[in-house]
Amino acid sequence: MKHEALLWVLVLVPAVTGALSLLLRSARTILGVMCAGVGISLALGWYVAGKVLMSGPVSAGGEWLYLDALSAYNLGVMLLNYGLSSAYASVYFGVELREGRLTLHQARLFAGLWCGAMAAMTLVFISNNLGIMWVGIEATTLLTGFLICVHVTGESLEAMWKYILICSVGVAFAFMGTLLVGASAHGLGLSAPEVLLWTKLQAHAGSLNPICLKAAFIFLLVGYGTKAGLAPMHHWLPDAHSQAPAPVSAIFSGITLNTALYCVMRYVPIVEAGTGNTGWGLRLLTGFGLISILVAAVFVLLQHDLKRLLAYSSVEHIGIIALGVGLGGLGTFAALFHTLNHSLCKTLAFFGAGRLGQIFGTHDMRKLAGAIRVAPVWGMGLFGSLLALIGVAPFAVFMSELQILKAALDGRAILALVLFLFGAGVVFMGILGHAIPLAWGKTTSTVQPARAGILETLLVVVPLMFLLVLGIWMPEPLQTALNAAADVIHHVNPVLAGSSGGVMP
Amino acid sequence: MNAFSFIPLLLALVLSPLMLGVINRTKAFFAGRHGQPLLQTYFDLFKLLQKGVIYSRTTTWIFRAGPMIGLAAILTAALLMPLGKCPALLAFPADFLLFAGLLGLMRFFTVVAALDTGSSFEGMGASREVFFSALTEPALFIALATLVRETGRLSLSTMFGQASNAHWLHSGPVLGLVVLALVIVLLAENSRIPVDDPNTHLELTMIHEVMVLDHSGPDFAFILYTSALKLWLLGALALGVALPFSSGNPWLNLAMALGGMFGLAVAIGVIESVMARLRLRVVPQLLIGAGAVATVALILTLK
Amino acid sequence: MMTDLILVLVVLTNLKLLGSSRLGSSIRVVAAQGVMLGLLPILVHVHELSLHFAALAAGTVALKGVVFPWLLFRALREAEVTREVEPYVGYITSILIGLAALATSFWLGGRLPVSTGEPASLLVPSALFSIFVGLFLIVARKRAVNQVLGFLVMENGIYTFGVGVVAELPFLVELGVLLDAFVAVFVMGIAIYHINREFDHIEVNRLDQLKG
Repeated sequence: MKHEALLWVLVLVPAVTGALSLLLRSARTILGVMCAGVGISLALGWYVAGKVLMSGPVSAGGEWLYLDALSAYNLGVMLLNYGLSSAYASVYFGVELREGRLTLHQARLFAGLWCGAMAAMTLVFISNNLGIMWVGIEATTLLTGFLICVHVTGESLEAMWKYILICSVGVAFAFMGTLLVGASAHGLGLSAPEVLLWTKLQAHAGSLNPICLKAAFIFLLVGYGTKAGLAPMHHWLPDAHSQAPAPVSAIFSGITLNTALYCVMRYVPIVEAGTGNTGWGLRLLTGFGLISILVAAVFVLLQHDLKRLLAYSSVEHIGIIALGVGLGGLGTFAALFHTLNHSLCKTLAFFGAGRLGQIFGTHDMRKLAGAIRVAPVWGMGLFGSLLALIGVAPFAVFMSELQILKAALDGRAILALVLFLFGAGVVFMGILGHAIPLAWGKTTSTVQPARAGILETLLVVVPLMFLLVLGIWMPEPLQTALNAAADVIHHVNPVLAGSSGGVMP
Repeated sequence: MNAFSFIPLLLALVLSPLMLGVINRTKAFFAGRHGQPLLQTYFDLFKLLQKGVIYSRTTTWIFRAGPMIGLAAILTAALLMPLGKCPALLAFPADFLLFAGLLGLMRFFTVVAALDTGSSFEGMGASREVFFSALTEPALFIALATLVRETGRLSLSTMFGQASNAHWLHSGPVLGLVVLALVIVLLAENSRIPVDDPNTHLELTMIHEVMVLDHSGPDFAFILYTSALKLWLLGALALGVALPFSSGNPWLNLAMALGGMFGLAVAIGVIESVMARLRLRVVPQLLIGAGAVATVALILTLK
Repeated sequence: MMTDLILVLVVLTNLKLLGSSRLGSSIRVVAAQGVMLGLLPILVHVHELSLHFAALAAGTVALKGVVFPWLLFRALREAEVTREVEPYVGYITSILIGLAALATSFWLGGRLPVSTGEPASLLVPSALFSIFVGLFLIVARKRAVNQVLGFLVMENGIYTFGVGVVAELPFLVELGVLLDAFVAVFVMGIAIYHINREFDHIEVNRLDQLKG
């Protein structure tokens, strides 16, 4: 089957592109090749993901590669964001090239790492072997670490040090968890190459050793949770996000966090079945989610740096996704939907923050006041994405959060409901309080108004339209995909169109 | 109780000063000197016993009682300590607690006697002695508890009688750690290098010697003899763990134990020759380390 | 028996790391630990010795006993530091915390139902203890070198667990550990170098300009 071969190609394309960009001699060509490579991956990936969603899982390489609805959906979301971010990166670094702030060496480094990270993340989604999945996360950590300090400054080195140190510990924990999962499969009679295959473990989940599995899940949740930015392991996140170049911040928030959380989602069905469907693992996930929401709510109020604000907002949204998965039922569906919404929204926000930062020369929100007058396109884009992020009504984020609330109500999780509403409310006020002066406040600095090209306008309009449309009407294929993906995590009755798109206040 | 049980006590009383001689000769050998005679400690004791005593007018009866109570305590402790496989004169459950308690009593009166002189030097020595022993005592107790746990016996004599080479084969790490902890305790309690230098004449750095500066004549002889006995008894304790081998013949066992004791003396001499005294600041770390080592041993037996 | 001896020595070296302020001696201790753990796969699987375990042992000894210490000593020279100053948690307190953690590790190790052979009942507790000590060093020490050492010790703990408990897992995953350690230290070494150059200091504590 050619779909199986395509799984290999999916990893190879970005890897080859990355290697190629190390050889090229012009920074512009490098950015162009990078975009082309990502574009090809995007097309291929969507094609394969579409096939999987329509006609069931695909596997290759002796079952080591495997794509089912959950991974296909996440892969699709990741590729979409990578495509947008790559286009944005060519704009962002194009400006730096014009100003002479990007050397050829830095461009090579950036493109190589960017494509390498993409290959690593693709590997995470398509591997069936949980060990290889871990290798993918580990490689992502190492590659993206250097992306933070494309421009070497004291602060970016500090951010990189924190990121690598904290995440390497997290990755080590995740490895320990993976080993424990392997240990829990002792005595199952699986052959050595089969032990860590997700499909095999899933099939035998009921007979895994529950105590080992619980220990494993704690290690995994803390380990991958560190990488996903769940509080209280989120300390690296604001620094890394604020110091990295804007396109890198965008993939950090929009993609790597989701990728790490995807790894946790992979384990949820195994752990649930292995511990007798008591909801033990889900409660842990709910707890971490709520802590993240509340911690983010407190810190959002204290921020002055726009990108740090967005970083804490990411902590909140990752918390919301974890909460959704933890609640189960409709929550799982909504959490996956929220993954898409948050990624789109956050990448857009970082696009705006990055370009405004270039125009104003700062990320301090007090100095960015009146952004809409100075740079209408990016100002509107940022303001729109901020509104979407805090869950203002017609946008899709509002819908997914509403569904999670409904899931909490359905599950009688009143405490979770109250804490979630409280946290989301504080974030709502906190960010809105920053966003309005940012958009319309009195301009404090004398910055020349900047015009945006067609590509830049498209980069703002497309994600915003996406978010707006998804908030009002959910297309049939997306709903099928979400149901199929949620079904991998939890066997529940599929969510009907009425309860997802129809709950308009 | 048979006649045989008197032997450890007699050997301790007779041979303990010789152990100091062996240590000194070893050190002299390493320094390339001829060194003092092996029996020098006996000569010192004899000489001191001949002399009169001088008491400062500031001291009270406590100062006079100190050396005597110390000697009495250590002699009682000697009743409890077996030598190798040869059981002690007195053996009853938990006698090791009494043993440790007697050592504590001896120390208490040495310290009180030192404080009684009202000299700032001796007060300084007393404070150091108390500080360090506060760190060695947990190590000693934890090591003893580990032995109890390991052998399942509650008395020093039966403990050592029970211990055999099978223990080394089965739980070698535990015994090794206990011996290590006990040797550190031995060195610290007897003011040997690397904790204290017994030959130093610089009062500022001394611990034990500085406490007994004001004692003279027979009193000082008592103190000298007490510390020789203390070295012997703690040495016997470490040795009993280190060499639990039984040959079957009691006389041969005894000879082996004696050989072990003097081997230990040589080992102490070697340690003193090759190591430098630690700075006072670092000593607590060493002693805590001994406690940590003993705790690891205890945890290993508890699992 | 030999396995037990090695594991006890690993526990002792961990305690030594908790109580030591000299970075040079800490690096040597970690190197010694790496060499001892390198021998572990041979000893644990003495009955089913294969080329695979021999290769694993050789690789581990070379990497953890030679390459890493060498890189770290280089980093130390570049940075011109010799000792930890004013750690967040004092040395004696650290040792006491370590002892408590050791007891906890044994308790947890007894409750975790993983099948280790009878002669290697110390494997899981000492692995957990190493993980804890590593984590503690990362958190409680200020020097970047010490934090790298902490990561290595944690890594050693995971390695101990992997070798002892799930040795039948694919080769690739075991290599993954080495890769991880290698790359992590490599990356960190470069990072130390950079940080040192940028700040003339490798004290992580000074890296606190980003707050909130």
